[in-house]
Amino acid sequence: MAFKIDSVVDEPVAVLTLVGELDSLSARVFQTEIEKLSTKTISVLVLNMEKLDFMSSAGLRVLIFSKQKIGVGLNIIIVKPQELIVDTLEKTGLHHSVTIVDQYPE
Amino acid sequence: MGMETRSFPGNVDSLDPLREHIGALAQQAGLSKKSTYNLKVAIDEIATNIILYGYQSEKIDGTYRLLSEITENELTVILEDDAKPFNPLENKLPDELDLSLPLEEREIGGLGIFLTINGVDDFSYDFSTGKNRNKFVMKVA
Repeated sequence: MAFKIDSVVDEPVAVLTLVGELDSLSARVFQTEIEKLSTKTISVLVLNMEKLDFMSSAGLRVLIFSKQKIGVGLNIIIVKPQELIVDTLEKTGLHHSVTIVDQYPE
Repeated sequence: MGMETRSFPGNVDSLDPLREHIGALAQQAGLSKKSTYNLKVAIDEIATNIILYGYQSEKIDGTYRLLSEITENELTVILEDDAKPFNPLENKLPDELDLSLPLEEREIGGLGIFLTINGVDDFSYDFSTGKNRNKFVMKVA
């Protein structure tokens, strides 16, 4: 299934909605969006993942890249990830570095 | 029952149809939703390595094959390619300490193969007659 990303920036908050499947092809699109954000003042990155059906390690690498590119203090909030994606975040320990919530703003 | 073979072009555009094919095989085999997902991740990760490091970085315009067999108890899938030998099992995997590091201190590599080995019931590799063969086995619960 094709990947789509929608970005709404209201500094210091950026909200990205990820739809479809995130693999090493679509991760390039995700990474480009993160690069665009790095020129702005962003302290909160909200990732809506309710309609994201698949994420490989290429997607995880963009999460790592986000912190390294935008800043260590970046607060990454993942909204409504599907259960199998939560599994991947937990297996790889990345859930310690992000906040998983049911809705944003709470 | 023999193996069914399907060929894919060695570029990242093939990953989507590859996962779709895995989904169809998993359904035929009767795998659970979670096993199906884990197998899709595992195959996607190894196929990505073949495409990016086996073919594209070596400027090789190649194809890779997916061989599959369904029995009563398991689904066996083999990814076969003609790139230089690469044994994922010899790759350094992240250990518990690596996996507990915060994002900003993470190394970028190793997570894909970690997810592969972690997500399937059996993973093995061999290289013979010029071909890499990565074999994945999922048991039907």
